[in-house]
Amino acid sequence: MQLAHCMMLRLSHGERLSGLGSEMPGDALPMSSAVPFSAAYRPLAGLFDEMFLEDGRARPGCEPIAQAIRSSPDLAVLQAMAERMLLRTGVTFNVYGERAGTERIFPFDVIPRIIDAATWQTLEAGLIQRVKALNAFVADVYGEGHILKDCVVPRDLILGSPQYRRGAIGLRPPHGVFITVAGIDLVRGADGRFRVLEDNVRTPSGVSYVIENRLMLTRLMPELLRECRVRSVEHYPADLLESLTELAPEGVERPTIALLTPGPYNSAFFEHVFLSQRMGVELVEGRDLVCIDHKLYMKTVHKLKQVHVLYRRIDDDFLDPVVFRPDSLLGVPGLTAAMHADSVAVANGIGTGIADDKAVFAYTPQMICYYLGEQPILPIVETFLLRDPEVRSKILRDLDRYVVKPTGASGGYGVVIGPRASDRELAEARERIESNPSGFVAQPMVKLSTHPTLITDEKGAPTPVPRHVDLRPFVLTGARPRVLAGGLTRVALREGSLIVNSSQGGGSKDTWVLDGPC
Amino acid sequence: MLRRVASHLFWTARNLERAEWRARLADVNYHLLVESPAASSDGWLPLLAITGERAEFSARYPAADEQSVLEFFTIDEKNPSSIRSCIGLARENCRALRNHISSEMWFEVNTLYLDAQRWSAATFHEYGVYEFFFELRERFYRIAGVVRNTMPRELGYDFLTVGRTLEAAENVSRLLDVKYHFLLPRPNDVGSPLDLSQWAAVLRSASALEAYIGTYGNAIRIDKVVEFLLFDETFPRAARFCIDRLEAALERIAAGGGEGESVPGARMLASRLRSGSASAVLGGGLHEYLLGVQEDCARISDEMFARYLRFE
Repeated sequence: MQLAHCMMLRLSHGERLSGLGSEMPGDALPMSSAVPFSAAYRPLAGLFDEMFLEDGRARPGCEPIAQAIRSSPDLAVLQAMAERMLLRTGVTFNVYGERAGTERIFPFDVIPRIIDAATWQTLEAGLIQRVKALNAFVADVYGEGHILKDCVVPRDLILGSPQYRRGAIGLRPPHGVFITVAGIDLVRGADGRFRVLEDNVRTPSGVSYVIENRLMLTRLMPELLRECRVRSVEHYPADLLESLTELAPEGVERPTIALLTPGPYNSAFFEHVFLSQRMGVELVEGRDLVCIDHKLYMKTVHKLKQVHVLYRRIDDDFLDPVVFRPDSLLGVPGLTAAMHADSVAVANGIGTGIADDKAVFAYTPQMICYYLGEQPILPIVETFLLRDPEVRSKILRDLDRYVVKPTGASGGYGVVIGPRASDRELAEARERIESNPSGFVAQPMVKLSTHPTLITDEKGAPTPVPRHVDLRPFVLTGARPRVLAGGLTRVALREGSLIVNSSQGGGSKDTWVLDGPC
Repeated sequence: MLRRVASHLFWTARNLERAEWRARLADVNYHLLVESPAASSDGWLPLLAITGERAEFSARYPAADEQSVLEFFTIDEKNPSSIRSCIGLARENCRALRNHISSEMWFEVNTLYLDAQRWSAATFHEYGVYEFFFELRERFYRIAGVVRNTMPRELGYDFLTVGRTLEAAENVSRLLDVKYHFLLPRPNDVGSPLDLSQWAAVLRSASALEAYIGTYGNAIRIDKVVEFLLFDETFPRAARFCIDRLEAALERIAAGGGEGESVPGARMLASRLRSGSASAVLGGGLHEYLLGVQEDCARISDEMFARYLRFE
């Protein structure tokens, strides 16, 4: 097999690498002979496995990598090399509330997740359609409000949402784009169909891991990548830069673009550094910026330099103390006014959270029909609004079968998974729902698809076993949409766990979108 | 370049220089005391005088014994100028600079920081004082090397230079000031063996002994030491050399912004050092002269902050 050959090559390369790095103790590579990978990988019954059919055959397109998993003893070696490379290059996320050395690596699994060309084609079309509708919705909500007048989405749901921002009323960004960067979380249930679980259209993160993960596998399994004809992800920063450039105020030929970060202590600071560096734009903090006469400037050594497009990675609440939280030190006083004066474009625009509100989510299929006159290509996970008394009483009766989410929160915060919750947790959830019904939605529990993932078993041998995964593709919108091929595959590393968040034992995989039919 | 970025660069360089300087001071003092045990009962006090930390030290440590001073000077996190604190500050500044410094520079500073986190009072016993400072100095040389070899000679490098040279010039002037005060209490001492070894140690603190001998021969004379450390234009740790580089960097910075003149303090101090001589300075009072140098350094810092670095 070609792959075995390529891995041997990489191995000798890797040994050379480890020889150089005397600074880390315990650098020795694990002995490849100690890893019994001949044992067949077994998909779990009743779940959709991303790589294998129930009879043990690989899915179309997955044969080369499946073959590698079944036959190669070297994955464990590659895994060890990957972890070491991550530590050295400093691909880290910050952990809040710890002192020294707070940066941790985001666990990475070397077995890539495969999406065949046809599946991706549908996903891509569905994602573009969805983000187009979400953008139209935000522009409409803060503009004419047609969708509310036509009662397609209830007005009180919007005006009562904690994500509704009065400061955004009347904004008309170039091309009508409020949502420049969207991360759409997709899951695959037992039927194998991709569904939207939730949208992230405020300041979605994770894209730097997509690029770093690929860089890693380009080093570790270059031949396999080529053999599978995997679509590239490295042009994302260039695409982002183009999208941002297209949003520059009219008449600005060569806009100055900056990325606004909350600073080095933010959990996604690595990504902010990464993206600003790759795009070649300045990484700024709020205190670097000042608004004068409705224009935004950054304070450089010699002068004030006008900023035309601001890619901000801080929340609305902290963006402009004049309009939002007055105690915020992270933002720029007067920024909202500058936006209204059309001297600066801010991406994502303010108030976009109204489109990823968990209750508004239930209406997204209707939005697609309303704005685009099309049927949704991507279905959503069925979502029940608990503010409706009839729905509520039905759900509360079977609460242990549903996942309950607070409407305003993101990042898995406050979610109760009915089938996994204790009686006490269910009782508490019921109480919270009864006292604030419009603060919650319920979704049936999706049995997430699984993917072979390298886990160290009780004997210390890394073995591929099924673990649950999701997918967060990234959609950019400037003058036109651009979709990053694949996206971030997150994997719940704990057995049986459905929670893929990095803060709760999640890791990530490289996502391979195959180019052309297999 | 953002003002914040320029200011992070300035403070990175300044803190690294201070940490390195302190490592060398402590090392040289240790050797001096090993070689002349007679002076060792309060032999660690001059060190604290040079850095102006005697009061702060006495407030928290009962006695100025070797272990206490080394701890305070090197690893005490409550001391904002300890070597560990300086490394921590340099690293915090670098962390916000990831887009503006080479990955090699970040790696070296970060690794040093991570290692410094593991230092404890027992470290000196485990390593031995000699080994500890020897290795530490090597680390600073490595950082200086990656900075020199990986950082483009642009605005950012100029701000690194400004931070480093300003700190170095101040340090050498304080060193001379305190040593002169301590070592010349009685005119009779001049030329005695102890005195000579003390002045050799002063030179060694600035890594200047070999260079001094190369210039003036192996007779160590106090006026020549002053001449060399203050006014030599070829030796990298001499005040004049540092301030020449500082002035040039500030001139490039000013030219980059189309400003006619660089900050006035730098030009003044540079011309003062260029026209100075040991005989004049020793005749007119070394202490007063060095105070003037330190005041000029403070003035340069103020002027530069107002012009380029203040952003809040």
